[in-house]
Amino acid sequence: MLIRIQGGRVVDPTAGRDAVGDVWVEDGRIVQPPPGAKPDQTLDAAGCVVMAGGVEVHSHIAGGNVVTSRLLLPELYISEAAPEGHPFAHAGGAAGWIGATYARMGYTTAVEPAMPPVHALATQLELADIPLLDRGALTVLGNDDHLLQILRDGEGKAAVRDLVALNVASSRGLGVKCINAGGASAFKDGALKLSLDDEIPCYGLSTRRIMGALLDAVEEIGVPHPLHVHCNNLGLPGADDSLIATLAAAEGRRIHFAHAQFYAYGVSDPENPMTGGFRSAARRIVDAMMANPQASLDIGQVVFGQTVTVSLDILRQFGGRKGAKPKKWVLNAGDAEGGGVVPFLYRPKGPTSSLQWAIGLEIMLLSGDPERTILTTDHPNGGPFTQYPRIIHLLMDKEARDREIATLPGIVRERSEIATIEREYTFSEIAQLTRSGPAKLLGLDDRGHLRAGGRADIAVYRDDPDRTAMFTAAKYVLKDGHVIVEDGQVVDWRAGRSLSLTVESDKAMERRTETYLQDRYGQGLDSFAVPDAAFAKDQPVFEDVACRA
Amino acid sequence: MAAWVKGGATDADAAVQAAAALLSSAHAPVFAGLNAEVAAIRAAYDLAGRIGASVDTAGGDATYADLGALARVGAMQAPPAEVVGRADAVLLVGVAPGRSPLVERLRATKPVRGRAAGAERRILSLPAGSDLAVAIAHLRAHARGHLTSDAGMMETARALSSALYGAVLYDPGELGTLGIEMLQGLVMDLNEATRCFALSLSDGGQDRAALQVAAWTTGQATRVGFGRRVPEQDPWRFDADRQAEAGEADAALWLASLPTARPAWLKTLPTVALVGSDAAPDLAEVVIRVGEPGREVGGVLWNEGRAGLSYRAPEQAGDLPAAADIIARIAAAVAGRGAVANRKDA
Repeated sequence: MLIRIQGGRVVDPTAGRDAVGDVWVEDGRIVQPPPGAKPDQTLDAAGCVVMAGGVEVHSHIAGGNVVTSRLLLPELYISEAAPEGHPFAHAGGAAGWIGATYARMGYTTAVEPAMPPVHALATQLELADIPLLDRGALTVLGNDDHLLQILRDGEGKAAVRDLVALNVASSRGLGVKCINAGGASAFKDGALKLSLDDEIPCYGLSTRRIMGALLDAVEEIGVPHPLHVHCNNLGLPGADDSLIATLAAAEGRRIHFAHAQFYAYGVSDPENPMTGGFRSAARRIVDAMMANPQASLDIGQVVFGQTVTVSLDILRQFGGRKGAKPKKWVLNAGDAEGGGVVPFLYRPKGPTSSLQWAIGLEIMLLSGDPERTILTTDHPNGGPFTQYPRIIHLLMDKEARDREIATLPGIVRERSEIATIEREYTFSEIAQLTRSGPAKLLGLDDRGHLRAGGRADIAVYRDDPDRTAMFTAAKYVLKDGHVIVEDGQVVDWRAGRSLSLTVESDKAMERRTETYLQDRYGQGLDSFAVPDAAFAKDQPVFEDVACRA
Repeated sequence: MAAWVKGGATDADAAVQAAAALLSSAHAPVFAGLNAEVAAIRAAYDLAGRIGASVDTAGGDATYADLGALARVGAMQAPPAEVVGRADAVLLVGVAPGRSPLVERLRATKPVRGRAAGAERRILSLPAGSDLAVAIAHLRAHARGHLTSDAGMMETARALSSALYGAVLYDPGELGTLGIEMLQGLVMDLNEATRCFALSLSDGGQDRAALQVAAWTTGQATRVGFGRRVPEQDPWRFDADRQAEAGEADAALWLASLPTARPAWLKTLPTVALVGSDAAPDLAEVVIRVGEPGREVGGVLWNEGRAGLSYRAPEQAGDLPAAADIIARIAAAVAGRGAVANRKDA
């Protein structure tokens, strides 16, 4: 099947392409224009912008916390009558709705960033039920007793590498994440705060040591995605110091910072650091990123309105429980991290939420490298991913931004630079922020671009000055060369694949872990496995992603 | 494949066709039980969504005792292996927790992880009195210093407050929503000064597996109706026993590939029963024998010891069909009958 996407403005920053032209697709891949060939299907893209399918690196779309959030706040999403072809695609917050909503926005890949290995099977089953997208999950380590024991006993890099490899392999993860490394463990032993070098009770370790060991392990295994790091002290005044110190602690190793907006909070009043509020540290964070080309970040943009925060950082979630709105929250002190679910209202026009909103935009607008500055809302923590079109609109349109800023309290202008920034993002920069950047970051060379040989995951948007409308409902979306969205509606309920890293686990570590697990749970590795047999048999669920050579 | 229609043995196709006819002619079908592997639960929700049925689970009352409290005040909880590994004080609320195998293990071991490692473990109890919820309220009042009148309560409150890692075990069916709400309040209060977590003991069924599947499939908990083509959660309205008793339901699908206590309405309401080893010809109008997960077929099941989902391979290979495959065949037969298009509101 040969498809010609004809006459659109083709935007692919990886090829320096931004001009009217065609994109050709054959058998699920982008191909060079075949001389003289007649397409089987032509998609009219005149007046449209053609980009690679969007790639999401950090959105909480599956797993125990997401399930708990639905039970805690059943009223958060609105459900509408089911469309033809899928009984649950309009069930607000459900897997079908997630897939359909991303696809309509032109996204074709999404990664759940927090999969605890003990609950990998449940997370992978849930991900597999998200239609239309390729999906993946990052395996979370950094609080589990087995890892901490190995580090406490000073066993060396090889043992850590083998344990990390085993966990990635058994959970079928796409990468590795650490979340306030040591924080959950410290919380269970009574701690309420943890910084990079604080001692973690009972282990004599620090976040620095745990994270450093994981950074090394990820490099040794050859995980394409750098270690995905959720730092200490999220959301607190002075959290910028935590991020900068963590970057320094990486000592030049590759590192990705999750939801950096929540750390771009400089202390506003040094005399009263915890009570004087915060001011934007966006420029400090951006400068540090520009000086460290091995580092990247995603934003965690805040949007106004009701949401629910979900995080495996139980120390931080416990600390934030009294800010819950409505006043109810869940804290699961799980087998390693567990999870905290705290409903939250980013008060429209509230001083704190307005400043948070400004800081996220500021990081993107100040960034000299959008490919290392990935657009996320840390869904649903900063707000729902459904707000991406509006955020893109604000990045591309200074006037729209000014109108919004004019409605916000003065603190936004006093404590951030947002009002003085003239920059307007181009389509190429938006493609870097949402396509080529996240694809490169995940090590997925087959997507995020429109070059020949790439996967035919493509979004075609009507070029509309109302960028919110433009990016909310694509004219066409292709997944693996099949049209799945037409005029903003899903027309083909295909299933994507779950991307999982091909990692060999060490047999000696398997035996050792089996003994450990039997002692702790009375059950072994089998009970943690994610076998193909656990999934529906109609088609393969997983697709292998190779490690770096 | 063993199958029966109105007590008479029949073949697979005939049973599937009879099931499809029964369900597609119903105005308000209910799907109940769901004591089965994840694939079957998933298939049941899918079919319910397509034909506008409502769904309930075998352990629905206990599940909703927990969910009611969760949606009102939240929860602070820990899984069994953490309680075994860390707790130096454990409070058993009511009678039911005493019967749990977990308590035997707690009595036989000491904490081995965290700051209480090596300490003796105290096992305390709050006996079931006339009103367990009130007893917890009294304990909470003693823990907060609002009451000091009951020496036993004071001692229990002190033991929990001075523990490094406390755990409070309860059975949601025994305790009820109000009691659980008070218990979670007690646990949250204790965490102002130390660590303490609640642990809800399940009845061994697959409700917690169904809860996860329901949440990711419909965005809601288990008791959901699809009669208006929108998933609507309503713990009272979609209580299957209530619907059957009130005459609101006119057909049912009973899914129990694992041994499950049967509701009385199974023989009075026109029902398709997909059951495991306890299948019998007169169980319901249409009975189809399906493989028992973890024994006769593979399947993902709730793993009580790990408080999570695990895949269980079959113990022996056989030719019994998996419940999910039968439901998929029923769904195909229903679609073939044009039932979806003929629904009044479609």
